[in-house]
Amino acid sequence: MFGLNKIIPVEPNINFLGLRRNFLIFSILAIFISIGLLSIKGLNLGIDFKGGTLIEVSTKNTSIGELREILSSSYSDVSLQEFGNENIILIRLQNKSNQESIETVNSVKNLIQDKVVEFRRSEFVGPTISSELLFRGFQAVSFALIAILIYIWLRFEWQFGFGAVVALTHDVLFTLGLLSILNVEFSLATIAAILTIAGYSINDTVVIFDRVRENLRKYKKLELVDLFNLSVNNTLSRTIMTSLTTLLALVSLFVFGGEVIRPFALTMIIGVIIGTYSSVFIAVPTLLIFKFRPQDEDD
Amino acid sequence: MKNYPIWKSFTVVSLVLLGIIFSIPSIIYDENSENWFLKNKINLGLDLQGGSYLLLEVQLNVLYKEELDNFVDSVRLISRDQAVKIEKIDIQENEVVVFFGNEEKIKDIRDTFFQMYRGVTLQINNNKLSIKLNDEYRKIIQDSAIKQSLEIVRKRIDESGTKEPLIQRSGKKRILLQLPGVKDPERIKDLLGKTAKLTFHIVDNENTSALQNNLAPFGKIIVPDMYDENTKYLLDKRAVVGGENLVDAKGSFDQTEGHAVSFRFDTEGAQKFGKVTTNNIGKNLAIVLDGVVITAPRINSAITGGSGIITGNFNAQDASDLAVLLRAGALPAPLEIVEERSVGAGLGADSIAAGQIAAIIGMVLVCVFMILIYGTFGALANVSLIVNLFIIISLLGTIGATLTLPGIAGIVLTIGMAVDANVLIFERIKEESLKQKKVFQIIKNGFDRAMSTILDANITTLIAAVLLFAFGSGPIRGFSITLSLGVIASMFTALMLTNFLVYMYLSFANKKELKL
Repeated sequence: MFGLNKIIPVEPNINFLGLRRNFLIFSILAIFISIGLLSIKGLNLGIDFKGGTLIEVSTKNTSIGELREILSSSYSDVSLQEFGNENIILIRLQNKSNQESIETVNSVKNLIQDKVVEFRRSEFVGPTISSELLFRGFQAVSFALIAILIYIWLRFEWQFGFGAVVALTHDVLFTLGLLSILNVEFSLATIAAILTIAGYSINDTVVIFDRVRENLRKYKKLELVDLFNLSVNNTLSRTIMTSLTTLLALVSLFVFGGEVIRPFALTMIIGVIIGTYSSVFIAVPTLLIFKFRPQDEDD
Repeated sequence: MKNYPIWKSFTVVSLVLLGIIFSIPSIIYDENSENWFLKNKINLGLDLQGGSYLLLEVQLNVLYKEELDNFVDSVRLISRDQAVKIEKIDIQENEVVVFFGNEEKIKDIRDTFFQMYRGVTLQINNNKLSIKLNDEYRKIIQDSAIKQSLEIVRKRIDESGTKEPLIQRSGKKRILLQLPGVKDPERIKDLLGKTAKLTFHIVDNENTSALQNNLAPFGKIIVPDMYDENTKYLLDKRAVVGGENLVDAKGSFDQTEGHAVSFRFDTEGAQKFGKVTTNNIGKNLAIVLDGVVITAPRINSAITGGSGIITGNFNAQDASDLAVLLRAGALPAPLEIVEERSVGAGLGADSIAAGQIAAIIGMVLVCVFMILIYGTFGALANVSLIVNLFIIISLLGTIGATLTLPGIAGIVLTIGMAVDANVLIFERIKEESLKQKKVFQIIKNGFDRAMSTILDANITTLIAAVLLFAFGSGPIRGFSITLSLGVIASMFTALMLTNFLVYMYLSFANKKELKL
């Protein structure tokens, strides 16, 4: 038996909440920077949300420069990118209307026909669809936050729901900010990743809150700060373990899962780290705003 | 096996066995198997098996416009009967405004018009009569257009020989098409890109000035030639007979005419056609397809047999495609492609391979990690994790879910997250072991205390997954399905299977004390 789990003590005693001000300042700064980035730089919207045409080809005996030369003579707004390896090239085009892009796909295909081994995929999203998809993605994330809030509110006291949603909003904004800096493509899959992060982060938060609630019943005389600290410490090894196993799986997906899934995996990796951080350093301290002690009120 | 109820062991073991047995069809994956059991396999999404996804929008505006044009014609007729002069007609997006020379008979015109069309709002303002399409009327037009379009699209796709297409209405005015195995949807797009409205019109060769001025008199239209835009024909606006009267059309080859489409009318069509050709010998008959004249041959003799051929500069493919379109019938309005995603089989296969590698490596990493941290208990959790994977696969197969690339990502993610429930339990056991010495009591408390946390934590993930399903589309739904199934399966494997395994292990190893 290896039993490496003894590295993490069963009852560690780390003063997480003592540092709460520093982390709060860090997070507030991060959120402001994220909001700033999102409004100034914005996200690197993929064709799902921006509309346009994307063609993935595998080529033979040709370079990306050569293809670019062929295509840029006909299209001013064409962009090419190697995708995974130098023989796979992604061609993106911006189109104005639906009709135009159907023709675009065909004429692009004709122009580079003899350089291409296989047209691996072609995607076209019209302007009406892309704005609808963006709206629906936004809707899904908002509804998820509300539904989770309601669930937590039903299962815990409402203050916990508030703490959870603060942490969640923090995670979503912070992740989006990092996606903006890293210029990760924002697509439908990213929305899925964000929602999963929301689910994951809340999962993490709930486990700690669960312990807070239990401890509130158990230690009626304990100072709130100490009680929260104790709860975080109680659940610390689980928090670390689960984050690590999830990250192991995600890193494997990032490295081996293929080019198409990489932005999704990266978003998830970022989100899991931020989600774990926020459960400990944001969600729990938020509870301190409320001087609540349900039992005290009952007495 | 102290205190471990037989029924519980039985349930656990049988569920595990079911999970393994029903994952066999998906693991073997025999595509063409007719065996009832092997058919319970996972469906691969278009992004994995290759194929095309098209979203088409019915151009309802064209229909509304057509209806407004009908209004204009009717108003002209009525006002001619009433001897009222029309000064101007203004066709807007949603209404027609007619300016009359005087106001005297405007009410009569309105009433006569209202008897012809019910679903309109009529408004008189001095010498102006405005005619507006009601919302209900528009909705009726919309619904029947979608229904008809769906039917026509289905017929055209069937005729094109695509295997297992999925054709369904999507939202108010869209049609969703999934064409597995279709790598290059160009031909399909061609087939769907045409309205294929076929009509026969008598050509007016006498009024040459109208053609020169490019101004059609009332009751006539000017239509260009299919092959030469500068050649125009002046035709009777009223079609003598249309494509709706066709019963059959097929590509044919004629020594003198080359490739052609031969067609046959139904009884009504044959009668009309016979009558018109009898009465108009010597005139030309134009065959108009989607607003262009394909050909306008001279009527040399009455054609009463009810069949004929359409000639043009066709090649074999053109002729057979036109025949397909004519057989399937005309779309009520043009379809516009608003979204298209096509994946070649090569990329699909690459994605599956990459997904498998990522899943296996992720699995190995997590398993090694669990053993490093929890030792024997970690190994037990790993058994649960592997069973978990079998259960996900078997559920996907039996409910006939579609596995997409994001779906594979969901499975890999689940591998990482599924051990969470086990970790929660083990951590509780660890805590309990500090408090007391009775091995089975420790285990029992550990599981019991972890239970509510596991439920709360997983339900929140499920909420996110369900919403993702509700608002997501296509591949993303695949992700939410695997994630949901993974979460559910992981709760079962942790709370029941791990529990069972831990009890078994402790009973057989006959442990007197527990150190985790």
